[in-house]
Amino acid sequence: MTIDKSLAELERVTARLEQEDLPLEEALELFEAGLTLAAAVKSQLDEAKVRVDQVIEKTKDAFSLEPFDLP
Amino acid sequence: MLDDRVYTVSELNAAARRLLEGEFPSVWVRGEIAEGTLAPSGHFYFTLKDDDCEISAVRFRGRAPLAGAVALVPGTVVLAEGKLTVYEPRGRYQFVASRIQPVGAGALQAAFEELKRRLQAEGLFAPEHKVPLPRFPRRIGVITSPSGAAVRDIVSVLARRWPLAHVLLFPSSVQGETAPGELVGAVDRAVRYARSEGGIDLVIIGRGGGSAEDLAAFNDERLARAVFACPIPVVSAVGHEVDVTILDGVADVRAPTPSAAAELAAPSRDDLAADLVRLAGRMHRTVVAAVRTRAARFSSRLRGYLFRIPQRRIETLEQRLDAAVSDLYRRTGEGLRRRADRRARCADLLRLSDPRRPLERGYSLTFIRGSDRPLRAAADARPGEAIETRLATGRLTSRIEEVTPE
Repeated sequence: MTIDKSLAELERVTARLEQEDLPLEEALELFEAGLTLAAAVKSQLDEAKVRVDQVIEKTKDAFSLEPFDLP
Repeated sequence: MLDDRVYTVSELNAAARRLLEGEFPSVWVRGEIAEGTLAPSGHFYFTLKDDDCEISAVRFRGRAPLAGAVALVPGTVVLAEGKLTVYEPRGRYQFVASRIQPVGAGALQAAFEELKRRLQAEGLFAPEHKVPLPRFPRRIGVITSPSGAAVRDIVSVLARRWPLAHVLLFPSSVQGETAPGELVGAVDRAVRYARSEGGIDLVIIGRGGGSAEDLAAFNDERLARAVFACPIPVVSAVGHEVDVTILDGVADVRAPTPSAAAELAAPSRDDLAADLVRLAGRMHRTVVAAVRTRAARFSSRLRGYLFRIPQRRIETLEQRLDAAVSDLYRRTGEGLRRRADRRARCADLLRLSDPRRPLERGYSLTFIRGSDRPLRAAADARPGEAIETRLATGRLTSRIEEVTPE
């Protein structure tokens, strides 16, 4: 899942969780789902490494990427 | 003039200054700019020369708005208005310009103003056409020279701040005759790349700093129109500009340098991680509160409805309820542990909200012996009392010698 979707989902889960009179079972499930999402986003943040590619257009609309070494 | 008095150097320089400023409070001088340097302070130091002579000159920041976006490039012949003065600490006399106009470039200047007015009238600079930048960009297009400092600056900011970024470099020259056409071509390529390869979240267009620069490419009408038509949000990043460029006006967001553009374009990983911890804490508190409320409500209902049932039976029921609640707590806890085992990250997350963490950094908690509430104010303790100090590992027991309640 992309990070925006995960975060939107996480915000939805938190908001739902804060509703009054949610059945307890559902609250616990939401809580677990929420923590799983948070952990997934966190690990994405921790593991990411910036990528730099140069875009080459071989022929019209045919693109390829070449890793770019910084000057 | 005959003068018997002996001057100090300072007095002599001051006198020379008064003399020059009195004699040349406002003059026009015509010359060619040589060795222009835009200092970090915003002051522009330069030399004006003709075929035989030169004079050092300065234009103080803010003092002299440059009409339009004329770059003070070496070689430009200018008409400057200002006064003569002496820079006393060095005993150097200099020209302080209050107004600078390119000679011959007057037509160029007029063309710039005309273009700006025309594009403005057409609405190319209008705020309602500005597109907000996405919160979490993944693919970031960069249009600049592959050999310049701009791309390096942008990447180094992103590496620190938002390593999820994938930088797509669309190379283009940024100065010289061919630059405007190349920049337009790069914008076009970025748009077509986004269309056929699944999107680009935003594009940064710019160049790094140098001394006085040629900004002509960034004042080009074709580039302005290409950026205006570009469906991808554009951040302008023309470094150390003397004045605003047309590109700055038409871009969705204007940044003063390539590094600043990267800062504006990407969120901070650390802020987001802190948000996650806060969100997890909020969820945790909500669930704990929900369990407590329900347990309490159930318990009082039991007392209300079951008053006829023998006390012993109520106690049994209450015991079962207690067991159910603690089972619930245990399962929540177990769920957490299970996930924590599976995902070390999750454990990290929870550890961040652990009150014992500060202890690991060298803080400690102090208790009056026998009390389980940490001491917050010296006034709550008395000399002679035994206190217990909890450290990250182990505890110390000591006796208070003196209390200073502040």
